Amino acid sequence: MPLKTRLRLPALVLIALFVVVVAAAAVLGSKSAQAQAEQPIAFNHSVHVEELGVPCLYCHSNAQRGQSAGLPTLEKCQGCHSQIDPGDSQALQDLARYAEENKPIQWVPVALQPDFVYFSHRPHVNAGLNCESCHGDVGQMTVAEPQGDMNMGWCLSCHKKLAPERFVKLSDCATCHK
Amino acid sequence: MSQQISRREFLKLLGAGAVTTAALSGCASATRLVKREPYTSMPEYTLPGTSTYYATTCRECPAGCGLVVRTVEGRAIKVEGNPAHPVSQGHTCARGQASVQTLYNPDRLQNAVRQAQRGSGKFDPMPWDEAIQVVQDALANNDPDSIAFLLGLESDHLADLVNEITAAMGARAPYRFGALGMLDARNTLVMANVLLFGHPGLPVFDIAHAEVTFSFGANFTETWLSPVFYTGAYGNMRKGTPGQRGYLVQFEPRMSQTGANADEWYPIKPGTEALVAQALGALVAEEIGIPTEGLFADVDVAAAARESGVSEEDLHRLAMMFAQSQRRVAIPGAGALGHTNGLDAAKAIMGLNILVENLGKSGGVSLMPESALGNTQMPSTLNDLTSLVEKMNSGKIKVLFIHGCNPVFELPAASGFADALQNVPLVVAFSSFPDETALQADFILPDHTGLEAWGYQKVSTASDRITLSSLQPVVVPVQDTRATADVLLAAVQAIGGDLAKQVPYENEVAFIKAKLEVLVGEDGYYAASDANTLWARWLQVGGWWDSDALLIAPDLTHAVEVLQKQPSALPAAAFSGDEAEYPLHLLVYPSPNLGDGRGANNPWLQETPDPMTTVMWNSWIEISPDLALELGVCDDDIVRVTSPAGSVEAVVYVYPAIRPDTVAIPVGQGHTALGRYARNRGCNPLQLLDIQKDASGNLAFAATRVKIEPTGRKHQLARMEDRVGVYGDRYGELYR
Amino acid sequence: MSETAQEKWGMVIDLDRCNGCQACVTACSLENNVGFVGEESAAYGRGMHWIRIQRYWEGEYPNITARFRPVMCQQCGHAPCEPVCPVFATYHSEAEQINVQVYNRCIGTRYCANNCPYVARTFNWFDWEWPEPLNEQLNPDVTVRRRGIMEKCTFCIQRIRKGEEDAEAEGREVADGEIQPACAQACPADAIVFGNLADPESRVSRLARSARAEKLLEELGTETKVIYLKGGSSRDR
Repeated sequence: MPLKTRLRLPALVLIALFVVVVAAAAVLGSKSAQAQAEQPIAFNHSVHVEELGVPCLYCHSNAQRGQSAGLPTLEKCQGCHSQIDPGDSQALQDLARYAEENKPIQWVPVALQPDFVYFSHRPHVNAGLNCESCHGDVGQMTVAEPQGDMNMGWCLSCHKKLAPERFVKLSDCATCHK
Repeated sequence: MSQQISRREFLKLLGAGAVTTAALSGCASATRLVKREPYTSMPEYTLPGTSTYYATTCRECPAGCGLVVRTVEGRAIKVEGNPAHPVSQGHTCARGQASVQTLYNPDRLQNAVRQAQRGSGKFDPMPWDEAIQVVQDALANNDPDSIAFLLGLESDHLADLVNEITAAMGARAPYRFGALGMLDARNTLVMANVLLFGHPGLPVFDIAHAEVTFSFGANFTETWLSPVFYTGAYGNMRKGTPGQRGYLVQFEPRMSQTGANADEWYPIKPGTEALVAQALGALVAEEIGIPTEGLFADVDVAAAARESGVSEEDLHRLAMMFAQSQRRVAIPGAGALGHTNGLDAAKAIMGLNILVENLGKSGGVSLMPESALGNTQMPSTLNDLTSLVEKMNSGKIKVLFIHGCNPVFELPAASGFADALQNVPLVVAFSSFPDETALQADFILPDHTGLEAWGYQKVSTASDRITLSSLQPVVVPVQDTRATADVLLAAVQAIGGDLAKQVPYENEVAFIKAKLEVLVGEDGYYAASDANTLWARWLQVGGWWDSDALLIAPDLTHAVEVLQKQPSALPAAAFSGDEAEYPLHLLVYPSPNLGDGRGANNPWLQETPDPMTTVMWNSWIEISPDLALELGVCDDDIVRVTSPAGSVEAVVYVYPAIRPDTVAIPVGQGHTALGRYARNRGCNPLQLLDIQKDASGNLAFAATRVKIEPTGRKHQLARMEDRVGVYGDRYGELYR
Repeated sequence: MSETAQEKWGMVIDLDRCNGCQACVTACSLENNVGFVGEESAAYGRGMHWIRIQRYWEGEYPNITARFRPVMCQQCGHAPCEPVCPVFATYHSEAEQINVQVYNRCIGTRYCANNCPYVARTFNWFDWEWPEPLNEQLNPDVTVRRRGIMEKCTFCIQRIRKGEEDAEAEGREVADGEIQPACAQACPADAIVFGNLADPESRVSRLARSARAEKLLEELGTETKVIYLKGGSSRDR
């Protein structure tokens, strides 16, 4: 019946459009678990890592011992920076002001997992992984940038290269979701 | 950082550098923005994302259980038992578990307040220096005789401090009160111990090793004295000794959770506990062939059987069992002692232990030796509290300080305490919550909750050795609260003069350290050669206790003499309310989950089902099926319960294990204040109790009769037991 | 599917020690961020308890008694909930040999709950609230579930994984009794024992071989990992 056919077509188009929009939103959403915002201090990783040779674990010292790698305390920053003249560097002046006010710096995390994901640095570092394997070559970045999607497929792409008995455990949902 | 303030400093830093973590929600939103604040200076023992554990002591009841609290980045997450602690032995009860909800309760007072009009609930915040000024003026400008302190049963260090202050001022020593103490009949038990053994403390019952335990209304797995210790002992009584399964016999008119676990349960007539014990004693004496004089002589077993409802045959069989067992113990519980003849019942039941000479033996009765910090100050008797009320009414009390208890809620309305408060010109409450009593105060100077507080608890019963249990803050105070000891000491220092010289402590921690000096060099679970080491170990271990089990055996000879002089004819229990008008016995018992009611604003305690009825979020009146039939009421009917002293409305729970002439209501609900989860929920049966006392001056809380009238209204109790399918199959029926 | 399920984590509950005190219920709820629902929802049977104590009246007054049995997810070896989930949100963990619920996969069909013979699963009908600062108490190791998601006892998987991680980092095996779920840890009567059933010398294995051992609805062939030891023997004299 022609009437029905005529009606059906726009409906199908609408449904198709809807599906596309939803799918696009989902893809975009999963791409950015964290909306990137400006860091309170434009911390320059390349100066610290590449030029000065500071090891990652000097500042993110908990990566070896615990779940979270941790951010350095203001005290740790000042350990060196109290000896360094800020000059006309905006970042260093900002840091000096935070230190003066003893105010915590509110960093925007770069590599962030959603709340329903459990991730611990310790087993990864203990397994001999370099920080760069996941976080990219931070020594080449001025302000740290997110690397790839850090989604489940990406995690598993590594885990599946492990020995079968390790893979059983490391592909178990409960390893990361609990 | 000096040793003295390092922990405080550290806690301040925790607060300053608290890490902002992501809002916990099920799914990540694409647009959320998370920020992270590292500490400005890393506190000792803290690693990001890693738990830190602190040993402290539970303050949800007076037992003094040792806790280890898991904290993560300055937040208290989970309460666990302290495995080294002699009382809790690594475990906790539901109330202890929920103490994090006391800490983070949304209805806590956030700062010191002034209440211009009592009872209005309109609070004006005030700075702490003004609050201290109020205390200072009250202490300095009033005759010491007109100042009274009313303290709770927790925080023994505060009781010790206030005792020092009152002694230095020449004021009366503080009163101590708590509904749990009252409903445990602690005073009666202590008085019986004084009379029989000359020991002013509570006994310890070694039920863990007993083959046969006779419990006279002791609900020791629920709230009585020290539930975690005695529940552990119960487990070991059943399965702790290979090849032996301890046998538990319970005598009580209403089946308690403890009674539900008994091998034999006898619903005896309320007030006949003494008779049953006396009959059993006479039969036991006969069986083991010792001459009976005094209390156990010329006992009419047939009459006791008739009065109590336990058959003569059962009495003979039970007496044989008790006499022939190697390790046997009889426990005088709250239900037996809460009558006007409670002291006689206590003596008769303790008499069973004396007859079989189990004193100081495995599976018997022992006494707690005095600790280096002295004995625990026992709760005041109702006689003491009544005289306080009289003094308040006659205007002799000008200032009343109230800490750690909620007498307006916990004392029977008939005591007149609430009205007497109106005659006290200045009432200062130190409650952390705006509870019923705090609402009648002029000033509320909120103390920290247990998990934020310093202190110690001297374990007065239920441990196999001298035990001092330490409290330390596991997190920085959540609200702008201040330790009451610090407030009092600040006031005392400001007053200066002789008082400040006699109470020379700079602050609460200095006071505790000064008290602990006697432990330096003492051999115990650890030995510390200097004060700093002692302090570090004290906080790390969670207190101080002996390295080995050590209790003292009560003096048998003296006890036998006392029993021999005791006349055999005991007074019958008297009841308030004429039997014709008020035909039913009322039994009130502390709710196993809510305790004396302070837990009522912890939502997870409200939602934890009652062990026997599985009811959540409400209270109820337990009525036997026969009585329900007679009254024409059924489950969920609201009835009016009236006693000579008062009247409340309660929801019916038809309870199959209660005498038809008895009804029971749990204590804990019926708050008119305290907070959003507690308010206007259930009823407070303490309002029904008439003031009757036993010979020790304790409240005879089981000596009130009531009548019941249906109201025709209904309230559906939320019960776990109705939940047959996931979606509640029976609700179609209930809500039809 | 193999005839007998593999063994790893298991639990023994001694009903002779258990006296129904509810400490496990509260401990579980606080460890696992279980929401409280309030009186009305609780009355409708929407309570979220992962563990409950079943109280059975036996006999008639005055020869009456009550028995208690704590019941939680029985961690079936052959779990009826698993094959009915259309999105594999509930599945059998090969590594831990327990039954796991993946919250971020769950779409709330509730088929699993309908198929569970132990009524061990609870459904989040609403988003439950923790008014500030009550939310400070939430355990950061456990996901807070939102509306429309099924949940159940996990044997405190976060504690199992933490224990395994700690042991691995220290280069040793997990010691017997080192990992304890919140219920076993709280239990004042020491009625709940948790451990590795694959290790014949573990405390839980030794207790599981007791002549008093029984499983719930064993005839269904669910191969549960929770073993009850019958209690109250002298009552049956």
